[in-house]
Amino acid sequence: MKKLPLLLFVFIASFTINAQTADEIINTYFENIGGVENFKKLEGFKITAEINQGMVIPIDIIKLKDGKEAVIVNIQGKELKQNVFDGKTLWNTNFTTMKAEKATAEATANHKLAIKDFPDPFIDYKEKGYSIELMGKETIDGAETFKIKFTQTPMTIDDAKVPNISYYFFDTENFVPIAMQKEILFGQGKGMVSETKFSDYQEIDGLYFPFSMTQGVKGKAGGQPITITKIELNPKVKADIFTFPKVIEETTPDSKPQSQKKEDTHKH
Amino acid sequence: MGKILLVFLLLVGFTPITLKAQDKIILKSNELFGDLSARHIGPALMSGRINDLENHPTNNRILYAGAAGGGVWKSNNGGLTFKPIFEEYCQSIGAIELDPNDPDKTIYVGTGETWTRNSVSIGNGLYKSIDGGTNWKKIGLEKSERIANIIVNPKNSNEVYVAVLGALWGDSDVRGVYKSNDGGTTWKKSLYIDQKTGCADLTIDPNNPNILYASMWEFRRTAWSFESGGSKSALYKSIDGGATWNKIHNGFPKGNLGRLAVAVAPSDSNILYTVIEAEKDEKKGLYRSDDAGNSWKQLNNDFGITVRPFYFSRIVVDPKNADVVVKGGLMGSISRDGGKTFKNLGRMHADIHDITFDIHNSDRMYIGTDGGVYRSLDGGTTMEIVENLPLSQFYHISVDDAEPYNIYGGLQDNGSWYGPSTSAGGISGRDWNYIGPGDGFRVLKHPTKNIIYSEMQGAENVWRYDVTKSKIKTIQPLPQKENPKLRFNWNAPMATSTHQPDRFYMGSQFLHKSEDMGNTWKIISPDLTTNDKTKQEQENSGGLSIDNSGAENHTTIFTIAESTLDQNVIWVGTDDGNVQVTQNGGKSWTNTSMNIKGLPKNTWCYHIEASVFNKGTAYAVFDGHTNNDKNPYAYKTIDFGKTWTNIITDDIETDSFVRNIQEDYENPNLLFLGTEFGLYITINGGKKWHKFENNMPAVAIHFIDLQKQTNDLVMGTHGRGVIIIDDISPLREINQKMLTKKVHFFKSKPTSIYENSSFSSNYGTETQFVGRNPSRAVQIKYYLKKRHTFGKMILEIQDLEGNIISTLGAGKSKGINIVNWNYNIKQPKVAKGKTFSFGGFSSPKVQAGTYKAVLKKGKETFKHQFEVVYDKNSDLTKEDRVFKHKTTMKLYDMTQELAYIVYELDAITKKATSLNNTKLLTKLNDLKETLVITTGDNYVGSAEKQLREKLADLFSKISNSYDKPSSAELENIQIIEDRFNAASKSFLKIKKKVKFVKELNLKTFEEFVK
Repeated sequence: MKKLPLLLFVFIASFTINAQTADEIINTYFENIGGVENFKKLEGFKITAEINQGMVIPIDIIKLKDGKEAVIVNIQGKELKQNVFDGKTLWNTNFTTMKAEKATAEATANHKLAIKDFPDPFIDYKEKGYSIELMGKETIDGAETFKIKFTQTPMTIDDAKVPNISYYFFDTENFVPIAMQKEILFGQGKGMVSETKFSDYQEIDGLYFPFSMTQGVKGKAGGQPITITKIELNPKVKADIFTFPKVIEETTPDSKPQSQKKEDTHKH
Repeated sequence: MGKILLVFLLLVGFTPITLKAQDKIILKSNELFGDLSARHIGPALMSGRINDLENHPTNNRILYAGAAGGGVWKSNNGGLTFKPIFEEYCQSIGAIELDPNDPDKTIYVGTGETWTRNSVSIGNGLYKSIDGGTNWKKIGLEKSERIANIIVNPKNSNEVYVAVLGALWGDSDVRGVYKSNDGGTTWKKSLYIDQKTGCADLTIDPNNPNILYASMWEFRRTAWSFESGGSKSALYKSIDGGATWNKIHNGFPKGNLGRLAVAVAPSDSNILYTVIEAEKDEKKGLYRSDDAGNSWKQLNNDFGITVRPFYFSRIVVDPKNADVVVKGGLMGSISRDGGKTFKNLGRMHADIHDITFDIHNSDRMYIGTDGGVYRSLDGGTTMEIVENLPLSQFYHISVDDAEPYNIYGGLQDNGSWYGPSTSAGGISGRDWNYIGPGDGFRVLKHPTKNIIYSEMQGAENVWRYDVTKSKIKTIQPLPQKENPKLRFNWNAPMATSTHQPDRFYMGSQFLHKSEDMGNTWKIISPDLTTNDKTKQEQENSGGLSIDNSGAENHTTIFTIAESTLDQNVIWVGTDDGNVQVTQNGGKSWTNTSMNIKGLPKNTWCYHIEASVFNKGTAYAVFDGHTNNDKNPYAYKTIDFGKTWTNIITDDIETDSFVRNIQEDYENPNLLFLGTEFGLYITINGGKKWHKFENNMPAVAIHFIDLQKQTNDLVMGTHGRGVIIIDDISPLREINQKMLTKKVHFFKSKPTSIYENSSFSSNYGTETQFVGRNPSRAVQIKYYLKKRHTFGKMILEIQDLEGNIISTLGAGKSKGINIVNWNYNIKQPKVAKGKTFSFGGFSSPKVQAGTYKAVLKKGKETFKHQFEVVYDKNSDLTKEDRVFKHKTTMKLYDMTQELAYIVYELDAITKKATSLNNTKLLTKLNDLKETLVITTGDNYVGSAEKQLREKLADLFSKISNSYDKPSSAELENIQIIEDRFNAASKSFLKIKKKVKFVKELNLKTFEEFVK
């Protein structure tokens, strides 16, 4: 009979585990991936990765605490910067002219909303004005997950304010997100739901990061995997790599200045 | 205390022990199917039936369409394109309502279409979303079957009214007007008449939300008749928010009434319109009230207003002008003089069910038809179809054995078609071929000749179409002296034979057989139905409006299956419940239906699947919904029908009645079940069913076929077109032993390297639906016992020596994973220049042979060998292949060597610049300008091509060609090789004299190209 209280305890405990709140899930998540305080100390990170689309494309993703960021795509030895933000201007490289072009004012404004999300949007989410809600359990990739609705600052799309909502799926075993779904808010895909899957969590200096991300559309086969080979914490980067250049710097040292400037219209 | 202990033991201890004893792994559907996913190929060019359209009250870019069998679709661009937002739920939609006080977030969807034709689908309740359609919750009225309208009080979001039309095929007390005062949490009946009378139309006075109008309709359908109208049909008004209701019939015709439509003019609450189905033809038509329903005056009795009330009772008033009235109908009618006179709407698909005006501009209209949504920019005069709604409603599909195979099928009110399973650039509208008008049903390809059989309703015409010669002949069996009347089903069965290619069967009440493709017919059976005369009085069907379209023809044969193992074994199922079998080619028949235990009498036999494993084995499925019985029925016999075993389990959801079953060709325990609410799969002969939901909506599946060469499961859905699950072969290997393994690689057929290409222009098709093609890649398929989340996991492709050819992102799901490899090696490392070398983006294909998939999961490694083969239709010899590969790789290597030269040259240049060695710099620059492009851009500013570009372009040209290198190409190589050798020599000459090369710490060639 002495065993009974123990059994009772196990029974009750398993109930407690089932009745997680959204905050408990987020807290356990941060505990499991290295502690929220340690993440807060991060000044930046640099991800080195590869996309295999038949053609293998190396990319670097740099993100700093002050909001500066850049994606550097390496094609045939040329570094083409995309989604670069220097604190003020969001810009991309035009693949035809290989010159920098500014993103729209709306895209820039939306981008600025996410500056405070470094290194993880769930850190101090309440102070940021965000909210979370546990929607229940859902099976993703055959694994049971907690579905968390994450509401961030509304974005502006085509002059209208739209809610900024995403859904994170935290594995009930490890409490790390294994998927994120978000409705596509603009462009051709508007109305479809994008889905990013996370896996291959690995430790860097005591902190865990997913080393594999696959991006696609919910329900459709054939997402695009990004395989991360290296994550460098607090990397040393030159401040000027984020600066919007007046004339993009030539990466080939001996090349001559541009002479031909034609409009980017159809050739024929 | 003893009892409590037992309870705890049961709860805590016993369960695992029980599991161990059984030693069984039972997976849920979403733990098993993994990456096995459906692809939708439409067609969308004729679209499908629309039941309801719903505007956003303030944003005219947003529009919703509710399809009869294809779910809820949202447009964000004023109706140019739509996206589905209701995939996991019942696809038969009655009504959509946005809360006018919260239109971006709160949406109600009432399921069950309300235009009660014979083939109408069934709903399963009311749903609500409070986040703009991302998440849905069923909020009640589960047994409502058909919801005609939902209205949220524009001044109070908590007050919601729902018009429940209700059951079509039987009595039900879930009917009438329901009201909720708490936003849908609880419901109360506001207006209820009886078990036969439902609410067909409900509208609210937008200026005074306490005023509502409800049309009640007495109606009933059986499989063999339809009855519209009765003493209970009436129009009611409430002025107290649905607390009390009164008939408003002042000016109405006398006698019984049928289906009525009602509308309030939004711009003037006193003006109402109703369309009345009455006993006397001259009293039918449009009535108007100018005093909020106190009195009515008949204004119009045109055909367009009175036609088929059960199908077309919808009136819509222009929100800005009370005198502009549009009525659904065969063509749709519009009046601009307050309902006195009407003209047809512009040319579009017939059968208009709903109309809506743009909130800001009444010239912009949207129309829902039997053939999708149409837009008009000129007040309904000129119509344009929405091209990306793949809502086609198949009654039946079949496949052929062409490569790629084609899918054939017939559609509700949209004729018969065939189209390819894959096409250049995806499967678009222009890939589909029209092969017969009317309602289309069964379409079969002749087993060997380029001939297609198709038909229209009731076998009024059965066509034999010689595609090569463009000759069409009608071949339906005709009445003979001995048999003056043939009873064909609306969806009449036909069948071909695997034994005799020219053999062709058709079923009326008899089985007809032709050995010459329908030129001559022989009846090879007695009347195989119950021949119940009371079910054969279709000329009296319809109620107040006679409706003898042939749709109610009954006591007919519905399915025919000749055994592939023995041509004398033929199975026949009838719509009145008989399952007949002959074992002697029709000399004698046995009715086995009384041997089926648990099956209610006269339940429609929808499909019989003759087993390919044993000639005495067959599966039969039954659909009782026209007897108001929505239970799923599927049975198996192994003894020619002497005994039948039920293979349905509790895994099949309630009310998911069954229309089709497909047996696998290799694993007799693998079966596919098509139900009203989606697809189920069993891997153990029906002991456990798994619902398949990967990109597979809960749509009604009317027919399933399994294509033999590809193992593709092809489904004809009644609302979402053709849906395919590519290569179901992994399911054949799933068993208990396999499920215990950490990783299991599934067998795969050798993959053929695809070398075909074609031109596909797609301008002007931006707003069209395009179906996805199957993958041409090598597909590495494996089962993972557990989802991989922590630690590294990659999939390498290696040759047999272990050289890594490609590294792929591995699938991490528990269940089946599919990883594509496009049989390429990595693209060559290309010299850095000012612009891109487009030829350098090409990755050569590997040589045919055996390769290894190596799954590295943490410290463990799992291996699987697979074959890559050349296209069997290729003209190249083995020697050609070797030569081609050698040539390609020679250019590949040369490209990389050039890249290395430029790398070294750039490094030397950098140093020389810092040393200000102008003499050296000049030499280096002069050489470099001949090696790569150093100026310009990637478009019209591009500079003259140099060695890198010429070399890479030739590499790409030869590598990408299906053919061996041509003599022109070989001559061209010579020039390039000479130039390369010269450049290489010049560089070496310069390099030799540079003293600081060692200080540069250059990478070796191997390091550089890695």
